[in-house]
Amino acid sequence: MRRCLIVAFLLFPLLCLPGSGSADTFTCLACHSAMKGKIRADNNVLIDVNVDSDKYEGSVHGGFDCIMCHKQFQSNPHNPAKAGNLPRNIAALSGKLSSKAKADPVALAACVECHDEVYKGWQDSAHGKNIIDKRQADGAGCLDCHGSPHYITPKTAATSMVNRKNIVKTCGECHENERIASKYNLGTHIIERYTESFHGKKFALGHPNAPTCISCHRSHDIKKWDDPDSPVAWENRTVTCGKCHPGASKKFVAAITHKPYGKDNPIPYYFEKGLIVLLFGVFAFVVGHVILEAFSEIRDFVFRNKKEDGPHE
Amino acid sequence: MNKGIPAEYTRFNVTERIQHVIMFVTFLLLSFTGWALKYPEVENSRWLVNLWGGPRMAGIIHRAAGITMLLDFVWHVAYLGYMLATGKMKLRMKTTIIPLPKDVVDMVKNMLYFVGLSKTKPQFGRFSYIHKFDYWAVFWGMGIIGLSGLFLAFPVQAAYIFPSWSVNWIWEVLFVMHSDEALLAIVFILFWHFYNEHLKYNKFPMSMTWITGKISTEDMKHEHPLEYELEFGDKK
Repeated sequence: MRRCLIVAFLLFPLLCLPGSGSADTFTCLACHSAMKGKIRADNNVLIDVNVDSDKYEGSVHGGFDCIMCHKQFQSNPHNPAKAGNLPRNIAALSGKLSSKAKADPVALAACVECHDEVYKGWQDSAHGKNIIDKRQADGAGCLDCHGSPHYITPKTAATSMVNRKNIVKTCGECHENERIASKYNLGTHIIERYTESFHGKKFALGHPNAPTCISCHRSHDIKKWDDPDSPVAWENRTVTCGKCHPGASKKFVAAITHKPYGKDNPIPYYFEKGLIVLLFGVFAFVVGHVILEAFSEIRDFVFRNKKEDGPHE
Repeated sequence: MNKGIPAEYTRFNVTERIQHVIMFVTFLLLSFTGWALKYPEVENSRWLVNLWGGPRMAGIIHRAAGITMLLDFVWHVAYLGYMLATGKMKLRMKTTIIPLPKDVVDMVKNMLYFVGLSKTKPQFGRFSYIHKFDYWAVFWGMGIIGLSGLFLAFPVQAAYIFPSWSVNWIWEVLFVMHSDEALLAIVFILFWHFYNEHLKYNKFPMSMTWITGKISTEDMKHEHPLEYELEFGDKK
C-alpha cells in the first residue's frame, strides 16, 4: 500500500504539469531524480542511477528525451530493444565502444547522430583508436573530457571541463596519471613542463592569446606527434607554430618539446645550478655587507658618538 | 672651511642624471611587470599583472621598457666613448669607475672596520668599491638579462641567429638567464643600492644627488676624501 502511495506521489508532477516538457523524460526522472547510489548491472558494472533533474534541464541537452540516446530502452521500463530496432550505424558503433562504455555503449554511440563529423575525427584519433582498435578502457571518449552527458554545458561556460580555463586540468586527468603514463610510455611531466613554459605561465595569468594543449595538438582528432597528420609532427610544426609566430623556422620550432627538465638536457640544467650558486653567493655577500655596515654605523652612533672622519687634519 | 672651496661639488652632469632616471624608471617598470610571470601560480600574481592592464598590456610595457633600457645603456656607453675621446673625461686612479686592486684592499679594510678589528675606515676616491659594484652590476645585467630578454621578445628572429646545434637547449638557458638574473638584480637593488643610497642615516630618505647632481663638499670630504684632495687639495 505504502509503495503504491510513493509511486503515486512521484508520478504526481505529471498530472500537475501536463504538456510541459516531454512526458518520457518526466517518466524517467520521476524515479531517477529521486534514486540515489549505484546498482550492479548484469555484466557486473556499477551504474550510477541518479540524474539531477535541475542540472539536466540546465545542460545543452536538457530538452532531449532520455530515449533519444538511451535507445535500447524504447519500451519502458528497462527491456532492451532488439538489436534490429537500433539504427544500423549506432548499433555498429556501440559494438566498437564496448571496452569504454561498460554500462550503455548504445547511449555513447548515440552522440554520433548529431555530432557526426566530430565523432568521425575522434574515431581516427589517438584516443579513439586506443578504444576501438586496441579495445582499451583508457583513452578519452566523449564523457572523459566533456563530463557526464546529462550535465554538458557549452564550452564557453565556466563549469565546462573543456572551457579554456579548465582544459589543461582536464587533459592532466590522464596525462598526469602515473598508471596511464607508464602503460602507454607517456611522460607525467608534460603538464608540468607546459606550466613552467612561457605559454603555460601566460595562460596561468589569463593571457587571452596563450595557447592551451588543444591550440597545438587539436582536440577530437588529436594524433600522436609522430603521425604525419599531427599538427605537432615535425613536418607540420612550422605551420602550427606559425599561427601565432609568423615566420617560424625549423630552428625556432625546436623550442617547445615538453621534455623533462633535468640531467637529460645537461646544459640548461647545470647552467641553472651555476646561476643559483652565483645568486646565493651574491645574496650572501650583499646582505652580509649591508647588515655588518648597518651594525657598525649603529655602534659608531651609540658608542663612539661621532661621525668617522675621513682624512684627519 | 677655507675660501676658494665651494659649498657644493657637481658630481654628475645633467646627461648622466637623465641616463640614471631612465635606467631606474625602466628598471622599476620591468620588475613590476615581469614579476608576475616568474611566479604565475601565486594567487597575487594575477592581481599584480592586472594592475598593469592584464597580461597582454604588461607584456607590451615590459618589452617597451626593456628596449628603452637597452637604448639608455647604448647611449651611456656611446657617451662615455665620446667623453673619453674628446678628453672631457680623464682616466685617473682616484676618480675612475674601473675596478682596481685598491678596491679589494678597501673592501677588506672596510669589513675589518665593520667588525671592530680596525679603527679607521678606508679612504675612497670618487667611486668606492660599493659604487663600483653597483655600477658594474648594471653592465652584467645588461649583458645577461638584456640580451636574453631581447632574444625572448623576438624569438622567431632570434632563432635565425642561433646555430642549429644549440636549439635544443638555448631557450631553456635564455629563460633561466633572464628569470634568475632578474631576481638577482631586484634583490641586489633592494639591499645594496637601497641601503647605500637611501637608508643610511645620513642619506635617509634618499641622497638628493640623483636630482641636483651635487654633493656638499663637507660630505665629499668624508665620503670621497681622495677625490676631495685631488680637486681641492691645493686650496686649503
